[in-house]
Amino acid sequence: MNMIKNIKILIAGVGGQGVVFLSNLVVEAAMISNIPVSVSEIHGLSQRGGVVTSGIGLGAHCTGFIGKASVDFLFGLEPLETQRCLSYLHKNSSVIFGHYRIQPYSVNAEITQYPELSVLATYLEKQCKEAVFIKEFAKHIDPILYNVFMLGRASRMNDFPFQEPLLEAAINNTLHGTKNKETMDAFKLGVAYEFDKKQAPLNS
Amino acid sequence: MKERIKKILISYDTPHNTCVMGNEGIARAAIEAGVDGVFSYPGTPSTEISEIFNHVNNFQYDQANKEKYPDLTSHPVYFEYSINEKIAMEKAIAFSIGNKSAMCVMKNVGMNIASDALLSVTYQTIIAPLVIVVCDDPGCHSSSNEQDSRYWGPMASVPIFNPATPEDAFEMIKLAFELSGKIKLPVLVRTTTRVSHTRGVLSYGAIKQEAREAKFERLPEHINIPARTAVAHTRLLDKLKSEPILALLKQESKLKLNAVDTAFGIISSGVATSYVTEILHQNDFLHRVSLLDLGLIHPFPEKEVLSFLSRGFEKILILEELDPFVENAVRNLTQKNKLDQQIFGKGFSNLTVTGEFSLDLLRTVLEDFSNTTFNNTQKAPLENHEIFLDHLPPRPPTLCSGCPHRATFYLLKLAIPREQSELIMCGDIGCFGLGALPPLKMIDTINHMGMSISMAQGLYESFHASEKSKKVVALLGDGTFFHSGLTSLVNAVYTRANILVIIFDNRTTGMTGHQPHPGASRTPKYHEIEIAPLLKGMGIEVVETINPYNVTDSIDKVNEAMLHQGVSVLISKAPCIFLPEFKDKMEKKMKIIVDHSRCNTCENHEDKSLSCSRCYTPKNNLSRAKAKLLAEISIPGEEQLCPANICNHGFFNSILEGDTHSAIEIVRDKMLFARTCGDICHRPCELFSSYKNLIPIKKLKHLVSSNEELFIDFSSPIKRAEEAIKKHKSVAIIGAGPAGLSAAYDLIQSGYEVCVFEKENTVGGMVTYAIPYFRMDKAGFDYEAMQLQKMGVTFYLNQSLGKDFTLEHLTEKFDSVILAIGMNKAKTLDLIEQNIPSESRMDVLHFLKSFNQKESMIKNGSVVFIIGGGNSAMDAARSAKRLHSTNRIIVSCFETESQMPAFYEEVKHAQAEGIEFLYDSCINSISVEKSGKTILHLHTYSNDQSLLIVPCDYIITAIGQTTDPRVILNLTTDDDLRIINENGFSGYKNVLVAGDISSGNNMSVIGAIASGKKAAIGVRKLLENYAYEYEGNFALERLNAIPTPQRSPANESEEIFEIEKYNLFQSCQKCNHCIDNFGCPAMVKVNGKVEINANRCTLCGLCIDVCPNNAIRWEAEKLESIEA
Repeated sequence: MNMIKNIKILIAGVGGQGVVFLSNLVVEAAMISNIPVSVSEIHGLSQRGGVVTSGIGLGAHCTGFIGKASVDFLFGLEPLETQRCLSYLHKNSSVIFGHYRIQPYSVNAEITQYPELSVLATYLEKQCKEAVFIKEFAKHIDPILYNVFMLGRASRMNDFPFQEPLLEAAINNTLHGTKNKETMDAFKLGVAYEFDKKQAPLNS
Repeated sequence: MKERIKKILISYDTPHNTCVMGNEGIARAAIEAGVDGVFSYPGTPSTEISEIFNHVNNFQYDQANKEKYPDLTSHPVYFEYSINEKIAMEKAIAFSIGNKSAMCVMKNVGMNIASDALLSVTYQTIIAPLVIVVCDDPGCHSSSNEQDSRYWGPMASVPIFNPATPEDAFEMIKLAFELSGKIKLPVLVRTTTRVSHTRGVLSYGAIKQEAREAKFERLPEHINIPARTAVAHTRLLDKLKSEPILALLKQESKLKLNAVDTAFGIISSGVATSYVTEILHQNDFLHRVSLLDLGLIHPFPEKEVLSFLSRGFEKILILEELDPFVENAVRNLTQKNKLDQQIFGKGFSNLTVTGEFSLDLLRTVLEDFSNTTFNNTQKAPLENHEIFLDHLPPRPPTLCSGCPHRATFYLLKLAIPREQSELIMCGDIGCFGLGALPPLKMIDTINHMGMSISMAQGLYESFHASEKSKKVVALLGDGTFFHSGLTSLVNAVYTRANILVIIFDNRTTGMTGHQPHPGASRTPKYHEIEIAPLLKGMGIEVVETINPYNVTDSIDKVNEAMLHQGVSVLISKAPCIFLPEFKDKMEKKMKIIVDHSRCNTCENHEDKSLSCSRCYTPKNNLSRAKAKLLAEISIPGEEQLCPANICNHGFFNSILEGDTHSAIEIVRDKMLFARTCGDICHRPCELFSSYKNLIPIKKLKHLVSSNEELFIDFSSPIKRAEEAIKKHKSVAIIGAGPAGLSAAYDLIQSGYEVCVFEKENTVGGMVTYAIPYFRMDKAGFDYEAMQLQKMGVTFYLNQSLGKDFTLEHLTEKFDSVILAIGMNKAKTLDLIEQNIPSESRMDVLHFLKSFNQKESMIKNGSVVFIIGGGNSAMDAARSAKRLHSTNRIIVSCFETESQMPAFYEEVKHAQAEGIEFLYDSCINSISVEKSGKTILHLHTYSNDQSLLIVPCDYIITAIGQTTDPRVILNLTTDDDLRIINENGFSGYKNVLVAGDISSGNNMSVIGAIASGKKAAIGVRKLLENYAYEYEGNFALERLNAIPTPQRSPANESEEIFEIEKYNLFQSCQKCNHCIDNFGCPAMVKVNGKVEINANRCTLCGLCIDVCPNNAIRWEAEKLESIEA
């Protein structure tokens, strides 16, 4: 086993968004790298539109369980669920989150208000080590693949432990040839997302 | 999935590392241990174990796989989803007795019904190894309680393993099989959610290839009789002290941390070990703690724990989720061994019996235990993040978009509205239990699995003898019905309970991930049992299957089933949206869209600042939605519009909902005269030809305004006038007839100063003088008119235009003037004036005024001849008849019956009262007899032929009205001396006109009211650039435009009016019904309008029926993804 510095990754979203699939890709990347990995998922009634989170611990004695200020890297597949995870982040955390909203019932019924995304984005950019807000997904990709799109973009972030070639291998190992192309395309679009605006990533 | 299953069946000679969930590790471990059969009922968090064996079973029994993968299929593992945990347990025991190794898998509460079998067989014997896996759910993520299954160890006297990680579980399953085989006793492995659902890296090894021969040996132990039990109990307890167990107790009590320092000792079991290990490894504190992890906890590892305690720690901390199982055993041990040990457990710091542990909880406990603070400077929390977490919308689970359960609940909401009854609805376990949450809220009780039917029976029985005896409803899913509902239903039939059972048959076990059950077997492996014949066979008379998407038909069946005395059953049958048959049925190449011009939009008035007294509640909109689906007659709102722009849709629906208060307020939002219109309105709202059955708005208006309490309360309009933003502009209104008063009503509520000038000593104009008293409530009209004073209108009575003041003067003194003086001079005929003595003739206005003042000079038994075919002629005729029944009344008019200008119903009333009509007639000449009697020589009007000679006592001319030309100087008039105007604007200075005096005016009271409203809008346009137009034109034109024979209003003769038969539909801004009562997650509210998120929509199409505004429809277009 490779002994690396412990890293905790949290993936948060809503049932049907592919939280578990994204988690599987990260696990596969860790397995290829021979890094100890442990995962804890919470998805009681996920098919019924509930919250799904997957915590991934990389390194020895690092579980997938999540505590306050314990998450080093957060994937927010849904903005409200990203905001719900703020207490798990710390000053050296990195965050990537997308704009795709799934309004819970209480928002539709106007009992509660959906939080303002720009406020969250500004806050995270200021508070975290690195924050990437996906304001727009490539139009033609299926929202079910926003997860791999974000994984692609995450591969260019400084503190994300896995880089593009390794993640491609993880995708290939996990999919067994089904839907491979669409998934890989979405991943690559993610890698290329706002490439011009940012400085070249370390792993390019 | 196939790749995963293959991987699980491969025997690895060299260890193969893979990262899998604890439950998958448990399955693999059982396979490595050579399990022959698995029996299970699905339930979170155990489900994945049985799912894997289901797939393994399917894979291994597939002929192609047998040929292609002989290695993977040579040792087939039997698997079944038993109908419940008790059967699974019994069958697993029997399987073992048949010399095949077995595993039985269930969730925590499953053991409650399975324990009957377990607690006896331990006294007897099993043959092949039997391992029972029970998954606990601390924190109740998906269970009805968080019971601690470790107690089954001492309760049943069986060994029980308690793994901390997936790796532990993987190893312990194998140990459990081995131990069970050795001591011929079932062995329990108890996991928790965080072990079952956590993934870790496991090393897959070789699969045990030993083949067991099925056999049954006739042993005395297989017969359980009381004489043998005492001995058997001793034998059982001896097994727990046997060598294999003692060895395992030693092996599975692991010293995970071994410090030289003896300050702190921790004994932990289960997932607590994982948490505490991680926390300690992240802190320097590690070297001061020794940690003993207990993997086999029954029988209790006394020796190992004693040895740990003997190291003389200053303090001992015991960490375990849920009950103090280990703690009590340790305390017991120290007491027995007279150890003076400081022990910290439940009750210390954050350690409670309830809920799950977490890293945060245990960090605090460890800090408190060691009086140390664990700091991590690298990981400082984000500043002020708490404010981002306040008031964050929760995301509770909801029924899926398109879910048939939602459809069933929705139709039940319509069929058996809960607000109006005390109906008790007993729910059960499963997806459909989400129907208890908003917006459905259709469940009163949920207990444990299968309780619904017993709950309904018991509640029915508790009310049985009382007056309140009534049907109770039980709701349960199809899986639950077979699990434990069936036996309870037998009891209901047997005890003659009066209950309705609704089976939510979505063709699968939905909650746990779509497993088959006896009612939906899905594979040839299982035999399918149809529910309906089964129930009929039990003697249940009413067993109906309904399609929940066919709401109308289903509601009828619900109503029938509710009426039946005894047990009735409805099977609401439609596939879960995850099943292929759901997807196959759904529309392709279509999408569902919301027309925003109809969604949550007021179709009645554009000016949103106008008062709307429609009461918005989810219940009210439910009633609109119900009317849409169930009413026999549906009428679009635009068919029943009002010239005064009263929202008849809101008015009618408020009455339908029993809210007559809102109904009258809705009338008064737009108009002062609710009761007067209820009496004498000519109801253009009902005058439409293409709809045979219209809603009798006038009759309803009469009904509502007849409620004296509602009628006298004008507080809302008065309040509106008080609270109106003052415009500091003044308006003079000349003439206090219905037109002038209506203009005053609107303007005073818009913040104007309003003065009304009236030449008579009382207000009302023609309504007061010309409408006969028997047609209306005169006092009611006066009361309504009087409210204007309370609203702030100033009245100047006995002020006559041209005499007491001039128009010119008012135009200068006021910002605007409305001339609404009416046509108060009757036209006369020279032939009559010249030939008939004045005591025998009169004009219609004078006659009606004298009639209303009860000063008529007509003697009893007279013949009264009335000339004219208009409404005033009808009033005069009916009044003259009413003076004395011996009076003979003849109406003569130029027109044929169908051409008469009078309203059809006025003519009909007159005819019914015995008035004689001479159509197509005119007076050719007049002679007067000596007796004073007048003789009229009548000709036909069309071809001037002699028609009739009529002697009469009085002649009343009712051929129209005119005005005094002197008062309307400066204004342009038409031939009838009516003032030409455009939308009320006279073209002269700041003068507007309203009522009869205005050219193009529509006769009747409602026409006058409408013209008053129109003039008020004109004033607002003039003085404040008001942006909206008068909105009653369509209805107003209808008042005159429709040919007479078709003017028959609906429901005229219907005495008892079944209002529920009708639906008057129109878009309403106060809606939100789909969100408030239906709540499909594909429906999203954006900027006040509902949208359908195409990514989440399953195209079930039910929302189209649900929308009371008819705003939702199919659209045949290419699907484009719509982002929420």
